Amino acid sequence: MTEKKLLFFILLLLGQFALAQNDSIIKLEELVISDVYLKDNQSQSIQVLNDSVISKNQPSLTHLLNYNSVIYFKEYGRGMLSSVSFRGTTASQTAVVWNGININSQLNGSTDFNTITANDFNSISVKAGGGSVIYGSGAIGGSIHLNNDLEFKKQFKNDFRASYGSFTTLGTNYRMVFSNAKWSSQIGFSYNGSENDYPYVGLYTWKGEQRKNTNGQYYTAGLNVSLGYKINAASSIKFYSQTSNTDRNVSLISESDTKTKYVNGFNRNLIEYVGVFNKLTASLKSAYITENYQYFGDISNDYFSFGKTECVITKFDFGYQVTKRLKLNGVADYNHTKGYGTGFGNNTRQIGSAALMAKWNVNPKWQNEFGIRKEITDNYESPLLFSAGSSYVFSKLYTLRANFSRNFRIPTFNDLYWEEGGNPDLKPESAYQAEIGNVFSFKKITLSQTMYYNKIKDLLRWVPGDGGIWTPQNTDRVQTYGTEVLLEWATNFNKHYFVLNSTYAYTISENEETKKQLFFVPYHKATASIAYSYKKLAANYQFLYNGFVYTRSDNDPNEIIDPYNVSNVGIDYDFGFFDSSKLGFQVLNVFNEKYESLENRPLPGRNFNIYINLKF
Amino acid sequence: MKLSKLFLVALGSVSVLVSCTNDDNPAVDSNTNETNTYEKGVFILNEGSSGQGSVSFLGNDLSKFTQDVYGAVNPGDLFGQYVQSMFFDGDYAYIIAGGSNKINVVNRKTFKLVAKIESGLAKPRYGVVKDGKAYVVNANTYPNFGDPADAIGNTDDYVAVINLATNSVESTIPLNNTGNRIILENGKLYVSEPYKSTKILVVNPATNLLETPIVVGEGADTMEVNNGILYVLKSSYGNPSEIVKVDLLDSSMTNVVFPESLNDAKNLDIYENKIYYTVDTSVYAMDLTASSASTTAILSYTSSSAYGKMYGFAVNNGRIFIADGGDFTANSKAYVYSLNGTLQKQVAVGVGPNGFYFNN
Repeated sequence: MTEKKLLFFILLLLGQFALAQNDSIIKLEELVISDVYLKDNQSQSIQVLNDSVISKNQPSLTHLLNYNSVIYFKEYGRGMLSSVSFRGTTASQTAVVWNGININSQLNGSTDFNTITANDFNSISVKAGGGSVIYGSGAIGGSIHLNNDLEFKKQFKNDFRASYGSFTTLGTNYRMVFSNAKWSSQIGFSYNGSENDYPYVGLYTWKGEQRKNTNGQYYTAGLNVSLGYKINAASSIKFYSQTSNTDRNVSLISESDTKTKYVNGFNRNLIEYVGVFNKLTASLKSAYITENYQYFGDISNDYFSFGKTECVITKFDFGYQVTKRLKLNGVADYNHTKGYGTGFGNNTRQIGSAALMAKWNVNPKWQNEFGIRKEITDNYESPLLFSAGSSYVFSKLYTLRANFSRNFRIPTFNDLYWEEGGNPDLKPESAYQAEIGNVFSFKKITLSQTMYYNKIKDLLRWVPGDGGIWTPQNTDRVQTYGTEVLLEWATNFNKHYFVLNSTYAYTISENEETKKQLFFVPYHKATASIAYSYKKLAANYQFLYNGFVYTRSDNDPNEIIDPYNVSNVGIDYDFGFFDSSKLGFQVLNVFNEKYESLENRPLPGRNFNIYINLKF
Repeated sequence: MKLSKLFLVALGSVSVLVSCTNDDNPAVDSNTNETNTYEKGVFILNEGSSGQGSVSFLGNDLSKFTQDVYGAVNPGDLFGQYVQSMFFDGDYAYIIAGGSNKINVVNRKTFKLVAKIESGLAKPRYGVVKDGKAYVVNANTYPNFGDPADAIGNTDDYVAVINLATNSVESTIPLNNTGNRIILENGKLYVSEPYKSTKILVVNPATNLLETPIVVGEGADTMEVNNGILYVLKSSYGNPSEIVKVDLLDSSMTNVVFPESLNDAKNLDIYENKIYYTVDTSVYAMDLTASSASTTAILSYTSSSAYGKMYGFAVNNGRIFIADGGDFTANSKAYVYSLNGTLQKQVAVGVGPNGFYFNN
């Protein structure tokens, strides 16, 4: 059924575009990733989503990753709270890393992917597997890297995008790059909002009226500034800043529910000095990060609860090139977080850590990475973290990768201090992970396949305690294992250019005691996208298959979310004014699939979006 | 319907397992057979968690059982979240879904949806009926932890007066306090709330005004009237439980203080001149006139539930009914015992079963 649809669409496209004849090339930009460790990691799977991929997707990070990676998402309706499961882990076991700094919420440990606008970044990388030695808490299932890369060359570029779509959805995004050999600057802002009153496909009230999304309006606005200055040939200073505010009402399940609203925002500032002196490199980073939320339990009055954290991070990283093939890095950091709010009073947390990393290239084909890290804090007993990875290039065709690591997720402010019920005696969740990856490259095809095994203990779960007060405990043990496949293929037939990207994940995530699959972890997820271009015309097709998930801990087969297939298509034409001036049109959920990722939280049926994108 | 092959296989294998193990109860019906009636038995409310709540039905013969009555009769309808309680009037049953601010009105025999009361309610809890009007307590805003006593969450609870001829809220009675359970006796409404309130509120439905409350102290929850005496079971954390007996003629009070071993007693239910109550997973009974509480359990059941022990409880029709809340994410169980503590029946109900309502 779906394959047929897919084939039909390809044929349709081919038929149309084969008529035209001119030449154009899909620009696959070369990426310079600001996060050095991410670039150096050869033993794990890192999928880079660059500008051209980001621009084909809807602005939210949820949409980008849902349609282009193995990560599973559940959304409380379009644009609402969105949480992840990566390799069968929980929402707080995926780290989100902004220019090398872990930005998961200090309050609840996770990131809401619908509060992040993908267009605010030059590139977004998806790293599967453990990474706590470098990225800290939460890097168990994997990590998402949001990067603003600075280029030092003479240029002045502007990128403006505006879109309008169904359900009164408005988006604007502007980015300016201004740089020369000494200075580099990027300034950007984005706004995305929607009335979001979409009808629920095939659902009616008891009176027979068409049901629709009520109280789902939202907007997210953000401002980004990145600056770089080369002091001399050996040293430079970089500054990154990002401010964002998300104002959302919360979609109702049934029409009579109390209308609520959630407002949250963050401000992140990071300054970094990098110096290179012969065999020594020194990097000093300092960051100041705040996050806050307000929850209105009833929008008809202004009674709200709130939470806020302020976090200062200082990080020293010294690298030493011992021999041509061996490099050592010593990293020390200090993290001071103050949190306060209606739920948990006023608390401060201090964490220091020291890490040692080594990169050893035995020969050009064989690269090894080692790391060890220990945190010191009076809040909890922290495990010794480590990682060991290796990659071996057997031939142009085949590379073998292996990685073994221990990772963790620390208790959050809510877990430790929530009133009532917070438990100050918690241990971090910790996990051992092993993975083996195979990478096959043939001409313009890259196929990578990874198998992993993750053993997670002391999983934090809120359970009822004395006097019926819920309190977090280190209760569960979970093992997750499975396989991931990523396929990339770029090719051309004469002047017709194609890029195919596809992912598939098979995931088992099992409670060791009950032997049941964790709820809201699908066994199967697959994505595919095809981008086609011919001269100034480009088109793309996206496909998502999400297998069924259990919604209950006992794996009751009657209580599941049905599997769903969703397809999107887009087409754009470059009119050739300025550097580029595209007019595009997208049809989302083109087959009008009735679907939801959480019980009674339907997602939209077929809907439309038109945009212009100017580069000058 | 799109179902992956894998899911079909999973579904198939599980249903085989279920049918192998569940051979003791051939009478488990029931399809969407509309001629089915749900009389002469007990409705078991399942409050649900992230999903919608549900209602199970167990016949008085203890063999007829339907796990999800509402879903079977009214497929596809949104029943509501956190189903709290139920009351009857004439041919109808009214089911309060507190998390969704609504009351589902169904035919009490067929359970077919008749109407919904969807406006004028704010976290409705319990209700009673008098003269064609329902009086439903609404918890409204919940306070944040540590809020002062006069915070909005502690003062905005109200009773919604619902005209059952039109199924609409026609007026509200502010309580200026917290409220939860409500009972009707001799033309007056009595409202208790165990966490924030220190008194039983008295409402006169003839005037829709509050009368002088009965000050009983913190922790008053379940209550019942017998022969003009209001029996209130109160338990506050760390203090001994007690039964307060209020003579409704002159508001004079006496009390029975429980020994420490019976701390955190719950679920007062009077049946055939005995006061039944529960502590942890045990059921006890004392005579109405007894001056001290019984510490000898009639029965104890096994529960692994941390918060949901004795989550629902009733004594009726010569039987003791117990619902175990389970883990609140999976279907849980209800048990039926004889009055002397012999297990007669065990059924798998829905998520978070919290109460029994008899349709005799």
